[in-house]
Amino acid sequence: MLFWSEFKKIVVGIPYLLFIAVMVIDLNSQDALNFSNDSVIVPNQSVTQNYGIKNEEIPELIMPAALTSLYTEFCENQYRTYPIGFIKYVKLDYDKQQKIADILSKITGVRADEIYAAQDSSNNSDENTFVLDENTTTQPNNNGNFTISIDNNTKENSIANELQLTVREDISYTAFKDLMQTVDNILGGGSNYAPQSLIGYGHVPITYEEAVKQYELVKTYDQFTGGYARLFSDYAGVMALSILPVFLAVIMSMKDRRAKISELIYIRKTSSTKIIFVRFLAVIAAVMLPVILLSYLSNSSMWHLYSGMKLDYLAPLKYDLIWLMPSAMMVIAIGMFLTELTNTPIAVAVCGLWWFIDVNLGIKSVFASYSLLRLAPRHNAGTKSYFRTQDFLDNFPRLIANRLLFVGLSITLVLVTIIIYEAKRKGKFTWKK
Amino acid sequence: MEKIISIAVINIKHQSALSILVAAVILVITPILFGTAYLNSIETAVPLEMFVSLIGIVLLPPVFQPEQDDTIRDLVSSKYISTNWVYCIRTVYATILIIIFIGLFAGYLCLRQCNVTAWLFLGTIANALFLGALGIITAALTNNTIIAYMIPLVYYGLNYGAGKKLGNYFLFSMQIPNFTPKLWLGITGGLLICCALIIKTIEKKL
Repeated sequence: MLFWSEFKKIVVGIPYLLFIAVMVIDLNSQDALNFSNDSVIVPNQSVTQNYGIKNEEIPELIMPAALTSLYTEFCENQYRTYPIGFIKYVKLDYDKQQKIADILSKITGVRADEIYAAQDSSNNSDENTFVLDENTTTQPNNNGNFTISIDNNTKENSIANELQLTVREDISYTAFKDLMQTVDNILGGGSNYAPQSLIGYGHVPITYEEAVKQYELVKTYDQFTGGYARLFSDYAGVMALSILPVFLAVIMSMKDRRAKISELIYIRKTSSTKIIFVRFLAVIAAVMLPVILLSYLSNSSMWHLYSGMKLDYLAPLKYDLIWLMPSAMMVIAIGMFLTELTNTPIAVAVCGLWWFIDVNLGIKSVFASYSLLRLAPRHNAGTKSYFRTQDFLDNFPRLIANRLLFVGLSITLVLVTIIIYEAKRKGKFTWKK
Repeated sequence: MEKIISIAVINIKHQSALSILVAAVILVITPILFGTAYLNSIETAVPLEMFVSLIGIVLLPPVFQPEQDDTIRDLVSSKYISTNWVYCIRTVYATILIIIFIGLFAGYLCLRQCNVTAWLFLGTIANALFLGALGIITAALTNNTIIAYMIPLVYYGLNYGAGKKLGNYFLFSMQIPNFTPKLWLGITGGLLICCALIIKTIEKKL
């Protein structure tokens, strides 16, 4: 059997042992292999109880908060954006600052030239004068001089207060969002003013009733195990399966060349389709086997916390196959395709870069965590948010679209790999050394 | 000296071209991924230690790669210049390339009005050396360059999860800011590189 022969080639050897060891270390470092201390409890009704904070799209909260933030950044001409998750400061030229002033004018009703003048004066006052008041502190330094400091909040407030800006009463939330979209475009994207990120300005406390509802959702929909399986998948996807399988795929693809048996295999009767596809399946099987075992090890660690409750014992398997496997398939397919195409381990660099960008994209918002091109969908939930079951349900169609896309792309790449391999067998596709 | 330069040039041309290209690509895309203007010293540490230092993984681990092919190893062994010398030359020029690339990027950051201190520059070199050294020691032990890429990349990923738990071996300490780990990373990196070269020498004698 070709499958077993290829499977054995992968699992017998140092790379595979390292793959498992690294996966265990990574997951253990995130406490994802033992959830016995993370139980979800029925919320207690109490006036003093804090059930956490949530973000809600309440225009009355969002619009003034976003306006204050934008005006503060406009005055400093230093805008924070997160194009891939990391902070990126954007400084705008005169024309673009004018455009921001126009937008502020449309939101507030204050004339754009007045807003721009206020920005100018706040910048000039920063450069030329400094008034000591109760918000400033002076400290002697080693040179015998004094360091004068002002706390950032006070500075933001003082800048924003120089011109009192409030949202016009007749502006609709839709029009506000359109203007904020324009701001985001001017800043090059990834700012907190992007319409899908504006919700970040709407902080509201979770009520007792909502906390009970969250608990009921975990109990009925997730049947407890689903929430923990999702948590495991989140860590396993981002820490292991969106990068580690590429090493096994590249090593397997280069094995023939290293053993100098490529030509020997080329002349065998077995078709290229069978060789490549069986190898693809063998790597997937080798990768998923420890993942399934570890997911059950992790999930079973909390079963005793819910004795007498209805648990879904198939939840880890469902999440392994639907959430995690498409990521592994994609990475393996890239590894096989690029190695066959270039005869180099360049796939490691390509997947490494993609993994790096993907890891940092996900920390921005739940929306971004389920975006179509996320290699490893994120769902990093703490115990207080009860596994964000509602977020999961709201984004489920997007998750499925994402996973189907990666399955489709990986199979396409495998088909292209078969074509390249077939061409090599016929001597048509070889790199000149 | 002439021979050393000649060996270095030939190796750079035939063996390290792809690695150098990938390292250059890393530097070129850094400004796309990260903010690289008007950063204070803590913010400047972010692109340097989180991304630019990855060039260590690209440049150092393939030092033993050509000789992993038995035919090439036998051929090189028959030459007058010892294989160990060739390894040393490759290690030295890979290290010099790391310093040059990081220096160039630090210069670019300075032009973009970022606060680049000497400690940030040295800390980034220490990071890159340590990551590269993890790869080079793995390559010496396993005789497999792919695994040599895997170990440092995994260690890098571990820093996201384990963070400060890694103590003096935490790669992103300049953002705290704490420069003590850089000393540990630099020294350990140097020792690991020496160990890798010693292992290769012993292996040859055996």
